[in-house]
Amino acid sequence: MSSLLQYLAVVVLFLCPVGILLVDNWRWMIGLLGLQYIGVLSLVSVSWPLEIAVVKLVAGWMAAAILILTYVNLPTAAAEPQISINLPRRFFKGFTAFLIGLSVYSLQAVALRWFLGATTQQALGGLLLLGLGLLQLGLSREVIRIVIGLLTVISGFEVLYATLEASVLMTGLLAILNIGIAFVGAYLLLASYLEDTS
Amino acid sequence: MNTPTLWIILPLLLSGIFLFLLNRQRILKWTGTIISLTLAGLAAVLPINQLFNFLFWELRVSEEMLIYGRRFVLSDPDRPIVILVFVLCAFWFLILDPKNDPIQVIPLGLAGTVLILTAYAVEPIFYGALFFAFLALIDVVLLSPPGNKPTRGVMRFLIFQILGILFILFAAWLASWIDLNTGDQLLFVRSLVILALGFSFLLAIFPFTSWIPMVTEMNHPFLAGYVLSTYLVGVFLFGLRFVTEAGWFDQNISIQGALQIAGIIMLCYGGGLAIVSKHLGRMMAAVVISDIGRSLLAISLFLSGFPLFFSLVIIQSIAIGVWSLSLSHLRKVVRSLSFDDVIGAARQWPIISLGILAGYFTLAGLPLLAGFPIFWVLGSSLRMYPSWMVLWFVFGSIGLIIGGLRTLAVLTKNSGEEAVLILGSSFYRAVIVTITAVLILLGLFPQVLFSLTQIITNLLLEL
Repeated sequence: MSSLLQYLAVVVLFLCPVGILLVDNWRWMIGLLGLQYIGVLSLVSVSWPLEIAVVKLVAGWMAAAILILTYVNLPTAAAEPQISINLPRRFFKGFTAFLIGLSVYSLQAVALRWFLGATTQQALGGLLLLGLGLLQLGLSREVIRIVIGLLTVISGFEVLYATLEASVLMTGLLAILNIGIAFVGAYLLLASYLEDTS
Repeated sequence: MNTPTLWIILPLLLSGIFLFLLNRQRILKWTGTIISLTLAGLAAVLPINQLFNFLFWELRVSEEMLIYGRRFVLSDPDRPIVILVFVLCAFWFLILDPKNDPIQVIPLGLAGTVLILTAYAVEPIFYGALFFAFLALIDVVLLSPPGNKPTRGVMRFLIFQILGILFILFAAWLASWIDLNTGDQLLFVRSLVILALGFSFLLAIFPFTSWIPMVTEMNHPFLAGYVLSTYLVGVFLFGLRFVTEAGWFDQNISIQGALQIAGIIMLCYGGGLAIVSKHLGRMMAAVVISDIGRSLLAISLFLSGFPLFFSLVIIQSIAIGVWSLSLSHLRKVVRSLSFDDVIGAARQWPIISLGILAGYFTLAGLPLLAGFPIFWVLGSSLRMYPSWMVLWFVFGSIGLIIGGLRTLAVLTKNSGEEAVLILGSSFYRAVIVTITAVLILLGLFPQVLFSLTQIITNLLLEL
């Protein structure tokens, strides 16, 4: 894949998590998560054959689909919470994300010494996802944001790990982990509306 | 037929079937208990890699299974671990009261036990970390029964476990480079630090401890006790396998200091928490945190500490079991488990309170209870190390005892209600009394426990 396309993937991998961080609407959040997995696929395919790398995209989109279906089935009031535009909060989140982006960019040379075999774009993309995912986890209490934060962190790890390990079992297990986290997220979102039939 | 099919695939299928039987609570409880005991019994008697006759057939059970080129091995030396995890599973199923506790513990608990064994059996061992991710997902579902919102502690538990697993996978990959670059100390130190960070997340080692008090305070006490007990035992077993397979005990690699410092910090943190807590759930957190510290200290003693570690595992599971069972009964009749709401509980519900106090004081190390001889031997073994370590060990233990005395004072305080009330069915009251008696007997005759755990160690390490 050309270097330019890889840089484009890095831009996607920066903008999508930042977008998820800033928006409040679940449709946008999950949509951006789905888009994020296209960037993940692009960077993983640098190290792996496309037919194996596409597993990441399929697993990620399945996770996104599970979350969408869950929201569709949630009671309306829970799915559409009152959104108050809070500019200072958004500015703070955006500025922190910008700082993370800046730190990752300045640390790329160190990162390349740790992730032997990774391209600059892979190191940048992977670390951006890890950093922004951790930011999401650190700033959120809502189940959906925590689930998306975890999926983002794992995506970052997968981009970096793809440069190190290409085992079929590991790929499969990481795909199941992504889908499993989405299922657990779906359960947690629905749990308080469920009745204990047992 | 092979051992992973018998002890991993089969129980996993059964746990799936159990999910359809959630309405048949009593049947599920007893079936789960009997199946777990049967699997433990098979681990004790089944010949592995040998021909034997079963009814009309001649059978041979091999020790490994291949999936996508990776081996899952449960061989002869692993028998004690298989027996241990299934017996602990059966114990929790036995003390589960379907009227008080969510019955989902049976299917999900059996699946969780299987995942612990899978993590233990897979080669290369670092793949096991991923199975702990699945176990964490199951435990999160378990801790959030239908009708309840997930608590902050549960969400933090999930986050920390996933992060820990990613660190372990990365450290394992870095460690694999050490073989190729022999003598690269920087690479070695990097992988060790990342691995330590990964296990710190998994074992809730300070400063990643916060989820334990949150879970024990906000979640159902039986579920919290079950998850904390089984999950941490699983991680410890996985960690032991991890370091023994890497040969860190044989080579001249010093992880002892780090283990001891982490152990002392955890013990003191638990002791401090016990002194200041005003909630029975948080008291459970205090003893669990201290127990993580003690387990780390026992493992740091290597070969001589392994029997102590297994003794801790057994006693901890029994004590947390009776504590959780008693708390889940008490929870039904009090507003909350904070000290203000349980004043005088021992006067009204003496047997339930007996279970709470026996469980707590065993883990605190009160003399004549089962924990005391283990902690005594552990403390004595630390004499050979710097004296500050022993001092902090004593401080942590005193903190736990003070916490226990505060609990005793609260439970026995005169609240004006003098009538003795019956709480729970006679079976569960009998269970509490029996477990308390066992804890006292094991305190009086610790050699029984020590000889058993020495056998486990010998089998496991093929000594």
